[in-house]
Amino acid sequence: MTHPGLPLWGGVVVVTAMIIGSLWALRAPLPGRVRARYLELAGLPVIGPWIRRLTASPWPLLIFKLLFVALFLLVIVAGLFGTPVPERNLATALTWNLWWTGLIVAVFFLGSAWCAVCPWDALASWMVRRRLWRRAEPANSLHLRVPRALRNIWPALALFVGLTWLELGVGITTSPYGTASLALLMVVLTTVSLALFERKAFCRHFCPVGRTVGFYAQLAPVELRPIDTDTCTRCTSLECYHGDRDVEPCPTHLVMGSLTQNTYCTSCGNCVQSCPHGNVSWRLRPPSVEAVQGARPHWDEAWFILGLLALTAFHGITMMPFWSDWMTRFARVIGDSGQLLWSFSIGLALSLGASILFYALCVALTHRITSGALSYKRLFAGLAFVALPLAFAYHLAHNLNHLVRESNGMGALFANPLGLGTQPLSDAERHLRHMDLIIPQDLLFAIQAALLVFGFWLAVIVLRHRGRDLYHKAQALAGWRLAPMMVFVVGITGFHLWLLMQPMVMRM
Amino acid sequence: MSRMRISVIVLALWAAPGLAHHVLGRPAYSLSEDSNTPPSMEVETQIGDYFVTFMAFPAFPRPNEPGRVNLYATRIDDGTPFQGEVSFTVRDDHWFSGDEENLGRQGPDDNVYRQGFVFKEQGDYIVSAHFESGGEPYVIDFPLRIGDPSPVGPIGITVAVILSVLVGVSLVQRKRMQRLKLSSHRESVRDHG
Repeated sequence: MTHPGLPLWGGVVVVTAMIIGSLWALRAPLPGRVRARYLELAGLPVIGPWIRRLTASPWPLLIFKLLFVALFLLVIVAGLFGTPVPERNLATALTWNLWWTGLIVAVFFLGSAWCAVCPWDALASWMVRRRLWRRAEPANSLHLRVPRALRNIWPALALFVGLTWLELGVGITTSPYGTASLALLMVVLTTVSLALFERKAFCRHFCPVGRTVGFYAQLAPVELRPIDTDTCTRCTSLECYHGDRDVEPCPTHLVMGSLTQNTYCTSCGNCVQSCPHGNVSWRLRPPSVEAVQGARPHWDEAWFILGLLALTAFHGITMMPFWSDWMTRFARVIGDSGQLLWSFSIGLALSLGASILFYALCVALTHRITSGALSYKRLFAGLAFVALPLAFAYHLAHNLNHLVRESNGMGALFANPLGLGTQPLSDAERHLRHMDLIIPQDLLFAIQAALLVFGFWLAVIVLRHRGRDLYHKAQALAGWRLAPMMVFVVGITGFHLWLLMQPMVMRM
Repeated sequence: MSRMRISVIVLALWAAPGLAHHVLGRPAYSLSEDSNTPPSMEVETQIGDYFVTFMAFPAFPRPNEPGRVNLYATRIDDGTPFQGEVSFTVRDDHWFSGDEENLGRQGPDDNVYRQGFVFKEQGDYIVSAHFESGGEPYVIDFPLRIGDPSPVGPIGITVAVILSVLVGVSLVQRKRMQRLKLSSHRESVRDHG
């Protein structure tokens, strides 16, 4: 059974926005500095004191952690002991239909809040530290430094590709047993990393989910920052970095006074609790401000962003009805058999390669136009952030489809999480579920079109500011010199639009 | 050409009902209310001149529950269905398991070869279909899980790995502490003379 794609009117809206946006970007003068307005949540009347109290206490977070750990353990029990029918087992339905799809939607509103309640990390911390909360001394970790070769996010990118391979190639999304086994594997990796390395190396360098959430959180409308930067400048004790007697240090080595990017912030709130001046708080911001001002991807981070772009599109491609025909035909050409994992793996590699090659070509053209004023590598890394809003917007639009159409029926699953005595969904039930959307279908289409326009617009804004910041004023990347990168932005948005307009195969 | 054999074993995760959900484009199992067809497990493979579809009913067979495998083979070049006889055997899917049992020999029924089975014990099995075409023998292996996979494996491995790491870290830390105490003791002895 397939979901209908975005109708023609949605496509027309997006294409019109792309034409107007492109013409404007190529003709407009250099952008000025952005003056963003922030809204300190702790300073709000009525709810401000509540927010301050809730974030300063370890209890609310602990309660959420306990709740998510309980759900996580239920997923493992259901996966290992429940029915193998995926749509009747809580493990597969909750993990892939609700969590994996809803997670990206949650980032749009809450930034990296998921990392603060992540059950992998919570379980690992409890097992290694042997405490439910507060600082453990000794921390029961060897505190080794992460080897230099791994002190980047290449491991996270490799694990993300691996996760995609398991998800779409092996079909773990429809295997409760496989889903539970993967969940246990993640707990093992997190625990081993926490026991061996200093702070939370897994969160910073290895976790594919955390890094995905972290990058997308750069586009989120919330951030954890100092209330008064002068207080941070005068601070010499740096409790936000070192922690205090009761509170753990920052798990990812961040110093609040110099924090400009959400990428590695896990929203754990340690800095809020340990700051002796009460100077750290959540605040609202325009969603584009960090992308425009603060984000400076390094070489490995640029590759992760491009990987994210390629893999999100690849998710979409594999859910098109024509994908299976392509795979079967390709398998016959290369003599692949069975589950066609070779064909799938080659398809995955080609998809990754095509997106990155397209980007690399557009950067090469830009490099040529600007007479090599910057090194190619620096330009490649510097402009990569343009791809992030495109990936995020498509990821949101695609996942929203899954979430709205496939996450109903959760009540029945919680009533019988192991799916004992159940049969697979009948055609009639599938059809009913297919038609029973959480929100009206036209509203879903409108949101999807709006998301694509939002992603395109943000990418254009980021490109214009990057064009200004990367070069000296006289050589700034503006006007027609933006054309190659605009081809990239338009090409990727157009491809995403085309994917969204196709019918999509139901996950389960 | 010597004897051809294709193994379509999908290692640990083979029993996933989503064997081919995205890869081959249709759910590996399906239930049709109208036709009362039971859910089935399906694998497609190509071997020599043939494209073979192999299905097991039900998708998740249990011990002492009757089930069957269906085999459908067409020539890759012109799509002609195979019309000879096919014999089916079964063996344990374990390393060094040599014993093979005959399940039966079947002729085509509307181009489909149907072989019934009942397994007394749960476990992993390999059902093999054997036929000859153009003077060459063909063997197609199809993994079949009877009963639920054991949850002890993943839980056991997880507990074992985590415990050994935590115990190892504790031992190393204890040694570190002892070394630290010893060196501070030596220093204090040296300082006091």
